[in-house]
Amino acid sequence: MNYKTARFQVARVLLISIGLSIAAPAWAEVDLSGEWADKYHEDWPERLPGPDIGDYIGLPLNASARSKADSWESSVQTLPERQCIPHPRPYSLRGPADLHIWPEPDPVTGRPLAWKIFGTFGRATQTIWMDGRPHPSKYAPHTFAGFSTGIWEGDMLTIYTTHIKMGYLRRNGVPSSDQATVTEHWVRHGDILTVTTVVEDPVYLTEPLVHSDNWRLDLHLQRFATPCEPVVEVARKPGAVPHYLPGTNPFLNEVSTTYNLPLEAVRGGAETMYPEYRKKLKDKYVAPAKCIRYCCGWINLLGPDSVTGKLECDGSEAKAPGEAKAP
Amino acid sequence: MKRLLLTEPRPSGSVPRLCLVALAVTSVAPGQPAATPKSSALIDLTGYWVSVVSEDWRWRMVTPAKGDYASIPINLAAEKLADAWDPAKDEAAGEQCRSYGAPAIMRVPGRIHITWRDDRTLQVDTDAGRQTRLFHFDDWKAPAGPPAWQGDSMAQWEIPRAATAAAGSEAGPKFGDLKVVTTHLRPGYLRKNGVPYSGQTILTEYWDISTERYLSGTHKNEQWLTITTVVHDPVYLQQEWITSLNFKKESDGSKWDPEPCSSRW
Repeated sequence: MNYKTARFQVARVLLISIGLSIAAPAWAEVDLSGEWADKYHEDWPERLPGPDIGDYIGLPLNASARSKADSWESSVQTLPERQCIPHPRPYSLRGPADLHIWPEPDPVTGRPLAWKIFGTFGRATQTIWMDGRPHPSKYAPHTFAGFSTGIWEGDMLTIYTTHIKMGYLRRNGVPSSDQATVTEHWVRHGDILTVTTVVEDPVYLTEPLVHSDNWRLDLHLQRFATPCEPVVEVARKPGAVPHYLPGTNPFLNEVSTTYNLPLEAVRGGAETMYPEYRKKLKDKYVAPAKCIRYCCGWINLLGPDSVTGKLECDGSEAKAPGEAKAP
Repeated sequence: MKRLLLTEPRPSGSVPRLCLVALAVTSVAPGQPAATPKSSALIDLTGYWVSVVSEDWRWRMVTPAKGDYASIPINLAAEKLADAWDPAKDEAAGEQCRSYGAPAIMRVPGRIHITWRDDRTLQVDTDAGRQTRLFHFDDWKAPAGPPAWQGDSMAQWEIPRAATAAAGSEAGPKFGDLKVVTTHLRPGYLRKNGVPYSGQTILTEYWDISTERYLSGTHKNEQWLTITTVVHDPVYLQQEWITSLNFKKESDGSKWDPEPCSSRW
């Protein structure tokens, strides 16, 4: 092969490569696989230690949702049949969730037939079908992870989940119904993963609940498998279920008094999520004199700052009565 | 396939895909005007967007108590400075906009209005604090001058491979995101209660749009903007502060309600 022929061959290979690169199919624009460490850089007190009882802040709840949440007694989670309930899909990415993600390839084509997401509490591993299959009949069984299908929209994986068991939107009894559906948008920017979650629930929400959470790729991540074996934690009469009857929950004012917030704001509702509501609060709110709990947030769990010394706000932590139990 | 960012090392022998994309987007047919960041935008960020506060409500919708640093990975130097926060002092110094700088402004509840100032500059106005951010594309060079609340922002479209086939055409759906890197910042607050960021802060943002096709009723096909935000501050943070914010598209500016900066509210 002479020099000119060789150059022609190289050029042809390059052109074909460029053509294939540009015309590549859109079945896997981004590799999401790997170990992803959850970043709790928003709402740390709610997401890790657990929300306060009666804290419905920032949720577009209706009256039914509030009524059901008001009846919640944290020790209900000590019942053996409830101890190992996984976090349901509308909530699972908000709770503690270091993620392990991998593709399940089609044995014939090698393309991802599904994505698997492991790491949410209670091992409700999610399967996202990528082969275009339809969602099952509305009479099909519901699970905590639900039934999920995904499509790529550019580099964004959009996941739609139905058939989810009744559960909660927050770990203090704010409910989600078995008619809730969840749309998620997964976007990877380098080693940062962002998931925008949209929950629609005709039973308990007056408008969709939208939030977004972040993870960072971590090659040293230790998976938190959350094994669970029910045991009798509290001796009770058979059939007893901890709860509060309407109007008897003594902790519903606690968030309001702790943070000087109007009770109406603490009770949530769509109106409270918009800037106009902030203007309404202006004349009603006076900041507490000082922070009394979770002041350092999560950073105190990491130990002393090796460079500048231990944060002093550690010492101001104080638990308030009625603090919600983290499952 | 992992998306290769311009700043990331590439495996040897790999084709720099974004360069190909750039060629596809900017190649000019004879007689056609050259493509600009405005004409080659694969997502339309322009219009009015409202922040929907379903996260960090206690730290965004109201001014939290002094000493409340939850969720921010501050270090001891930051804590000492924040413990000395005095809004009256800021007011006396004419520094009421300390919590309205680029690393914090998108977290302040309000509306943003996005327009193209020119073919190479995207402008973001906020009604909260009446701030203006300018995102400069291409080879823009920052003019000399003192640091500012909104700093100097360089922007680039990040275009997925699936979009390259339709690049430059009007047909088909358009995908991609906007990456913005902001430096040269005047020191300010990450949180209204005095949690500081320094002049060495580098703010990196990724702006993504989603269309909610699965929602029902009046919410079907709503457009949402998610801004993933990474604050890198070697002076006051123990690690990067990574958050994301959600905005909903509005049909017009009828709810636009500008208000000045405030040190206390």
